[in-house]
Amino acid sequence: MSIRHGIIALLAEQDMHGYQLKVEFERRTGGTWPVNIGQIYTTVQRLVRDGLVLPAPGERSDDRADVERFTLTDAGRAQATVWWSTPVERGAPARDELAIKLALAVTAPGVDVRDVVQAQRTESMRALHDFTRLKAAQPQTDDLGADLAWSLVLDHLVFDAEAEVRWLDHVEARVARASLHPRPSPRPTDDPAAGGAGGGRARRRSGAPPPGGRRR
Amino acid sequence: MIAAPDSPGLVGPVVLSMKMAHRTHGEGATAVHALRGVDLEVRLGELVAVMGPSGSGKSTLLNLAGGLDTPTQGTVTLAGAELSAMDPRARARVRRRSVGYVFQDFNLIPALTAAENVSLPRELDGVGTRPAREEALVAMAEIGIEDLADRFPDELSGGQQQRIAIARALVGPRRMVLADEPTGALDSAAGEDVMRVLRARVDRGAGGLLVTHEPRFAAWADRTVFLRDGMVVDTTGGASGPESLLAGGGRHRGDR
Repeated sequence: MSIRHGIIALLAEQDMHGYQLKVEFERRTGGTWPVNIGQIYTTVQRLVRDGLVLPAPGERSDDRADVERFTLTDAGRAQATVWWSTPVERGAPARDELAIKLALAVTAPGVDVRDVVQAQRTESMRALHDFTRLKAAQPQTDDLGADLAWSLVLDHLVFDAEAEVRWLDHVEARVARASLHPRPSPRPTDDPAAGGAGGGRARRRSGAPPPGGRRR
Repeated sequence: MIAAPDSPGLVGPVVLSMKMAHRTHGEGATAVHALRGVDLEVRLGELVAVMGPSGSGKSTLLNLAGGLDTPTQGTVTLAGAELSAMDPRARARVRRRSVGYVFQDFNLIPALTAAENVSLPRELDGVGTRPAREEALVAMAEIGIEDLADRFPDELSGGQQQRIAIARALVGPRRMVLADEPTGALDSAAGEDVMRVLRARVDRGAGGLLVTHEPRFAAWADRTVFLRDGMVVDTTGGASGPESLLAGGGRHRGDR
């Protein structure tokens, strides 16, 4: 995650020096993303270079960079506003090892997809149990504050792990259904020179329509 | 950075035990094997979640656990009594005294107050109205809802109604709660509140068997058992260490 926007958002509240930024950043995100002080200074320097941040006037102390306070420029303030009002881009999905692994497992000879799914689900459920134990140990809070921030960050991990488990359930169900209607297994592309435009990608894997929707 | 707390609560004696439980409906070529040799144990202080696709045997498992049905092979022991060896009357007696149910749609009686709903099973047990009410108030206090005692179900939120159902399931001598999709009718935050209450109640001395298809709620259990085609194919959640948490927790994709 970029800490650039985090720093801008914090400086929009008040001027801070580097160490303060580090502490505040960690506290406000529930301690989930520790940052080192080097990252903070590198980022602040870039923000200064880009004209978004300035050393706070009257706080210069030539030999002690760690007490130097920083303040936002007008451009920096505008950036903070833009950040809050713009959604975080989903962008292209990251290349997910699990998705790749299962896609290959479906067509790999001698691999039982159900076993691959089960092994992964065990691991994802284990993570989910661990996150939930942390939640359970946390006193429940309805106050806006650091405890709530931390609990929402944990929830994000919980929902993320759950989405994976649900997807695995879905894979299992689709594979089970497909194995009732076996079709000739697709052969690897046999053209050794395949590398030109439209290579192996054009090959359709199945005539089945896309999944109909979420279960429930 | 973050230490994982130990599994909460102390684990006590076995409340429910299934050994090589089979349940077959019908015979011969048309026989349906709903369960094929399930071993399962729930101790006091333990919450066990059961997950699996439709038709995997979850409902059959719950029915056997609660003594509503008996295995065609193997044994089911509830609160020290072997249900599979009992006649239906004796089985019903054990069932009534030992287990309570929590359902997706709460199943509270609308014409009765919360406390009356909770005391009803005790009155059916033959306990007088006044002691039954006292036990109901104890069961409600156990999960922190005694202030709802005189409210009617339609004055309460879904989450509150489900908490009353949990109190009712564990009123009096009952030490085993069977929960069938207890969060199914609740939104995410209310569902979590209910799981928190169920978890805490079990920690204070009850056994729990939870059927759910939502992994997020199953994760509140000590263990999750996966059923497939009537067999336990996997169990997770038993032992895990803090090393897996957050810090360097492997395959995190959030980092961009």
